[in-house]
Amino acid sequence: MGRAADTAGAGTVGAPANDVPAAGPAWPQAAAALFAKDLRAEMRTKVAVSAIGVFTLSALLLIGLATATLKGAQIPIPQSDLTRPAWDPAGKMALLWVLLCFAAFTGLAHAFVHEEEAGTSLALRLSMPAGAVYAGKLAFNLALIFAVALVATPLYMLITGMPSGPPPVFLLVMLGGCAGLAAAATIVAALAAKARGTGALYSALGLPILFVFLALLLNAAKTLYASPQPVLDVVKAVGGLFSYGLLLITVSALTFGFIWEE
Amino acid sequence: MTTAQTQPPLTGSPQPPPLHPQPAGLKGAAWKWGMGLLMCYVIYGAFFIAKNAIGFVGDSARIIFFHVPCAVLSSIAYFVAAAYAGLYLFSSHPTKRFHLDLDAKAAAAMELGFVFCILATVTGSVFAGMQWGTFWNWDPREISIVGMLLLYAAYLVLRSAGGEQPDKRARLTTVYILITLIPTVFLIWVVPRIQALQSLHPTSVLANPKNTSAAYKEVLYPSFLAFILLFTWLFQLRFRLYKLANKVASR
Amino acid sequence: MQIEDSCAIRVIWDGVGHRFGARSVFSDVCGQVEAGQVCVVTGPNGSGKSTLLRITAGLLQPSAGVAQVVVDGQPLDMLARRRYLGYAAPDLTLYRELTGAENLQFFARLRGLTLSREDLIARLSAVGLRGRGRDLVSAYSSGMRQRLKVAFVLLGQPPILLLDEPTANLDVEGAAMVEEVIAAQRRRPGGGVTIVATNEPREVEWGELQIRLEPGR
Repeated sequence: MGRAADTAGAGTVGAPANDVPAAGPAWPQAAAALFAKDLRAEMRTKVAVSAIGVFTLSALLLIGLATATLKGAQIPIPQSDLTRPAWDPAGKMALLWVLLCFAAFTGLAHAFVHEEEAGTSLALRLSMPAGAVYAGKLAFNLALIFAVALVATPLYMLITGMPSGPPPVFLLVMLGGCAGLAAAATIVAALAAKARGTGALYSALGLPILFVFLALLLNAAKTLYASPQPVLDVVKAVGGLFSYGLLLITVSALTFGFIWEE
Repeated sequence: MTTAQTQPPLTGSPQPPPLHPQPAGLKGAAWKWGMGLLMCYVIYGAFFIAKNAIGFVGDSARIIFFHVPCAVLSSIAYFVAAAYAGLYLFSSHPTKRFHLDLDAKAAAAMELGFVFCILATVTGSVFAGMQWGTFWNWDPREISIVGMLLLYAAYLVLRSAGGEQPDKRARLTTVYILITLIPTVFLIWVVPRIQALQSLHPTSVLANPKNTSAAYKEVLYPSFLAFILLFTWLFQLRFRLYKLANKVASR
Repeated sequence: MQIEDSCAIRVIWDGVGHRFGARSVFSDVCGQVEAGQVCVVTGPNGSGKSTLLRITAGLLQPSAGVAQVVVDGQPLDMLARRRYLGYAAPDLTLYRELTGAENLQFFARLRGLTLSREDLIARLSAVGLRGRGRDLVSAYSSGMRQRLKVAFVLLGQPPILLLDEPTANLDVEGAAMVEEVIAAQRRRPGGGVTIVATNEPREVEWGELQIRLEPGR
């Protein structure tokens, strides 16, 4: 038994056993390790993905059924012979974002809630700095919401006939929206998980943050489909989205340590 | 062999020494009486001194004297809370940092902000009902006030959920206050300026001096002062209540 | 200069006390553990053994007093000390959706180590989990999970071991394995510090120092 214990000690790179312990990796590497671990665990258990997937598919189906006639309906514009769509493109995008918000709040909580409920957050606290934990979890949630948006958006466009508008602007709006959504969902999940709250707490905490964000998204949507489309308006709208997300991430990174540590 | 045994518990309060021997702020009763008189003047003035503003249905513009101070104060209350939250988490003063009194002050400010926000929303809705027939219109300022309302409500929900240990609750709620700085700043300064959303708010109408009599300012500015003093008094009361509750709990 | 002097590691408790809300768990714990020593913390349930270990590990801020970890004369703050210690407790769990080997690899990576395959096999064998590294931790018995925790604690050869009920769920061989781990820690060049919290009367013999906590009011 003594031999085996010594062999276990010989695992490191030949340093004498009482030297200063190896400094941990820099935080990006630690965050990347956490991201890889979460990815592996998720691919194995598929908890978050299935929750989001079931919700998204059912929501899409329901929306498709409910808006089948509304989709192409036209309303006459008074005092002219022209018509305009009853359901304008910005309105369609608004509903898409509502869907994505709900999807996010269904599935992105898992990152933190699971650690608390399974009790593994303690091992994580001992092993890596708080900032790296936040970065790793944020990266995971970003990847998740991008994946959901990537699948849901084309389906949604097919079902409701939502146009894309100019592709570069569309891409920027979707990116900015997903990033802000992930940022909001991640920090709220961290708070709610530590407060041992239920899904209700999670939603309650996220609502004010998302409420403002949705107003910004609506503005971006209107700008996306406006014609003519002044560049300044686009810059302001998209810039608003990204700055909201970035500011949120900054404040979250600064305060996450207080949530995570006791 | 080292042994350690617990000592008999210390008598007296186990709380850390308070930051101030008495609740700080304006002292004495005189200013409260003064505030009460001022408020009476404001109420009287709203109905009898200020003449009706042109362009408004009936006497509906009179609600301005109550609606606007409440709305402004509900935003100020949030920033007061954010300042205390920031001190709680980041103060460089070692005794002030993580002192629960700071968290209590932040909570008091948030609770009062919630109350004033409800008042602002209700008075605004009443005005909208009188002026435009519908009680809710989704214009940017209405969106802003609802956003603040949701924020305050979420804070109160978090406060009750994190309730078991005071320092854990303090940490989580003060962090939430700071995180919601971003939505608040956007609500107050960005959302009202979003072109895509129509604005029904009569700021532009009221700002035109031809539409209001000079007496308006005579009532509006004192009203602001009265409400600010009211807020301060309620804040001090709420903090004293917290200290008393602590004293009772520690017996 | 002796190695023991230059790599001096010690744990110092100076008037440590803690309360949860109004309830005092313990107060005025004083003591010192030098390199090469083993300290056993005993006391009935609820006396705060786990809390004392958590405070020592820098996981919890004590209500009173200070628990210092001093390396080369420099005290380490709560976050800096974590890479010098290995902490295991009943409420510390490892990832059930990963295998034993994956768990060790992940936490080793966070400590800046890369474990080769031989490394992994050696570590798992040392705790009696040879051949079980590829199984998900959810399939482990409680005793096997405890053994994996011991392997986790030894990652990076930390000079300080904080073990809270290390033989919980373990059979006779498992308990002997833990005893040998503690002995190896004591023997290491420069001396390692071990602090064990336990309910087992037999395990009190493991340490030359003892702290006995009485339940507070």
